[in-house]
Amino acid sequence: AMAGRLEPHLEALRRELRAPDPAVLSVLLALLAVAVTLLIWRFVQGRRSSRKAVLLLGLCDAGKTLLFAQLLTGKYRDTQTSITDSSAVYRVSNNKSANVTLIDLPGHKSLRLQFLERFKAAARAIVFVVDSVAFQREVKDVAEFLYQVLVDSTVLKNAPALLIACNKQDVTMAKSAKLIQQQLEKELNTLRVTRSAAPTSLDGSATGGPAQLGKKGKDFDFSQLPMKVEFVECSARGSKGEEGDADFEGLEKWLARIA
Amino acid sequence: VGFQKILTLTYVDKLIDDVHKEFRDKYRNEFQQKGTLGLLNGTFDFKDDFMRLLRDAEESSKVRAPTVMKTFEQSLKSQKTVKCMIETRGEKPKEKVKNKKNKGSKKEGTEAVAAPGKASAGDKQPSAAGDREELTKDEILQKNREEFFKRHMKAGEKSSKSPKPEAQKEKGKKPRVWDLGNSNAKVLDYSNSATNGSAEACPVEEFDPDTALGDRNRERGRLYDLEYESDDEAEEEKVIQNPSKPSAKKGGLGGMFGMLKGLVGSKSLTREDMDPVLEKMKDHLIAKNVAAEIAVQLCESVAKKLEGKVMGTFTTVTSTVKQALQEALVQILQPQRRVDVLRDVMDAQRHRRPYVVTFCGVNGVGKSTNLAKISFWLIENGFSVLIAACDTFRAGAVEQLRTHTRRLNALHPPESHGGRTMVQLYEKGYGKDAAGIAMEAISYARNQGFDVVLVDTAGRMQDNAPLMTALAKLIAVNAPDLVLFVGEALVGNEAVDQLVKFNKALADHSMAQTPRLIDGIVLTKFDTIDDKVGAAISMTYITSKPIVFVGTGQTYCDLRSLNAKAVVAALMKA
Repeated sequence: AMAGRLEPHLEALRRELRAPDPAVLSVLLALLAVAVTLLIWRFVQGRRSSRKAVLLLGLCDAGKTLLFAQLLTGKYRDTQTSITDSSAVYRVSNNKSANVTLIDLPGHKSLRLQFLERFKAAARAIVFVVDSVAFQREVKDVAEFLYQVLVDSTVLKNAPALLIACNKQDVTMAKSAKLIQQQLEKELNTLRVTRSAAPTSLDGSATGGPAQLGKKGKDFDFSQLPMKVEFVECSARGSKGEEGDADFEGLEKWLARIA
Repeated sequence: VGFQKILTLTYVDKLIDDVHKEFRDKYRNEFQQKGTLGLLNGTFDFKDDFMRLLRDAEESSKVRAPTVMKTFEQSLKSQKTVKCMIETRGEKPKEKVKNKKNKGSKKEGTEAVAAPGKASAGDKQPSAAGDREELTKDEILQKNREEFFKRHMKAGEKSSKSPKPEAQKEKGKKPRVWDLGNSNAKVLDYSNSATNGSAEACPVEEFDPDTALGDRNRERGRLYDLEYESDDEAEEEKVIQNPSKPSAKKGGLGGMFGMLKGLVGSKSLTREDMDPVLEKMKDHLIAKNVAAEIAVQLCESVAKKLEGKVMGTFTTVTSTVKQALQEALVQILQPQRRVDVLRDVMDAQRHRRPYVVTFCGVNGVGKSTNLAKISFWLIENGFSVLIAACDTFRAGAVEQLRTHTRRLNALHPPESHGGRTMVQLYEKGYGKDAAGIAMEAISYARNQGFDVVLVDTAGRMQDNAPLMTALAKLIAVNAPDLVLFVGEALVGNEAVDQLVKFNKALADHSMAQTPRLIDGIVLTKFDTIDDKVGAAISMTYITSKPIVFVGTGQTYCDLRSLNAKAVVAALMKA
């Protein structure tokens, strides 16, 4: 259709070029410039919206910032509670030029949703860091946050790969990944019932999204989710304390696969 | 810095700013070039700098020369002529009273013109008060209020009022009479507790004539007018008019060019750019029923957050500010933890104890109605409910709850729930102590195996100290799992006052280390406001607790949960 419409214009153009009339010519040039600009604009937008980010999510004190530092520099740093996001490009080791942008988001209750909102569209993968030592105490909060992440409409649409990293395995009392998986499945099972039974939202749309997590009749299982979910054990501090290296080969391998 | 209210260090703010600036300047290169990796890899040897800044800040706060005493030459006394110091019989009290008034006035800048006017007014009042021995409390309050407003009127008004001549010259010595204090000892005598402190708060027997009648001094059969102070209103109008600054408008081609220039290219936002936009947004928010001080604070914080931010191309100041304000509003409405009542009830069920919810609020907001709605919702989800009628003051409160119970049982008969009565009412009539009834209701629920106990309390004004104490006692003694404040969406600036005073009362009268405060808000009568939804913002901003339920009508199904994005969209709509 564009070509058809252009034909008579091309004729007029050719006629004009033979007898150049400066006014019309300048107008045409201006239009051309605008068209080119729009094309470049759309191209740039497209580039920006490609998802290249790996988000580090989790509760407060789960070990996200330390993991972030260890992945990028290989050194141990003393960390404080994050109040803003940090992002850097991570080059996957012993590989070609594959790289992802690691984004470390704060886990504090009042900030986590806000930052998730900002970065969820750009997420290619999500690493959910869980404190394996304090898990028994915090299981409800962990499940609630995980539920909020999983039920989010953008996350469901993009279905980024999800890795649940059970951190702090260097401590003896840490729970194993299998136990954490079972507990989370049980808790999410209860949560989806209570959340969907909550009173409907003000303008009629259902709370927690119309998505029902997993299949209705059966108990909740991580395999029922549209995205790939894996569990891995890791330790950001490493077994030798501050001098040694971190212990997260599973995490690195998974990142290599994602990139 | 965390304990700023207890240990006021005046230099803290300045110190933080200085540290911030110094750190940023020192490591500017590292930040700009290397980004996050620079942060992680770099070593920041800032300790010495920090100690130095701290020492400077401490010293600057100590350095303040002690006020030097005025020498005799400088003082006023030496400048007065001898003639005016000679005391004649008639003039003496006037001079003395005038000086005392000058010293005693706390307002800044009371001119000499104002002083004689005030002195005359002040003089008149104590003499008037001295004549009448018996003054009722209300009249004293009224009189004090008038005096207070007269004192605080602007100087301009005072100068127009010509100083009245001293008509009354006191003969002989008169006892010192303080203006704003009570002028007779009888009122200060607290030995007989029957006269002070009316018996309104805790009715001992079933019907107490005092509480029902209230003010006994009124004429029989007469309907009094509503009293209001016109001084107050006039003053408020003046205050509002003052800050309106005319905004300079540059017309013509220059303005158009400037607008285009503002659109393209990146420039950082300054306060002056944002001020007109923020002013408009603030008025818009106030028009949407957000409390005035909340709107001001919100706009302030948005301004602070956006200051210095670099705008992208094709974004105007208005759009950036609107975007930031929208984000801030959404974040306010979605505070930290979402209260999931069903989940917590399941937990309590597992531990074999009832889940106790208490409803509190001012009069007439819809506590009993929404209690019935919530119990309907709980029954639908299969939990049995015991309603504790702890409103022992309002006539018909118990009957209202009984009617609701009957209706709910008709809707959900025991046969359809395995022979269990899903709703039951626990009441002990009128006039009894609410906290005691609540405690008995909870133990009854535990014995009978009810899942949830909903405690309905009487409505009370936040200023009513004895009633607030009673409520705080109920909550402290019974330790409910959830304390819900019921507020109506029609409320305006009052919301702030209500919530602050309720929280304060609960915190003050609790003996525990961590007092139970309001855990959640129920926003009622939401169907009466169409899009003036500002009350939601005010309430969540003050308490930072979530809105758990929204009531949108009087039938049992009119219970909703809050959708933050929809509310913010309604709020920002023009």
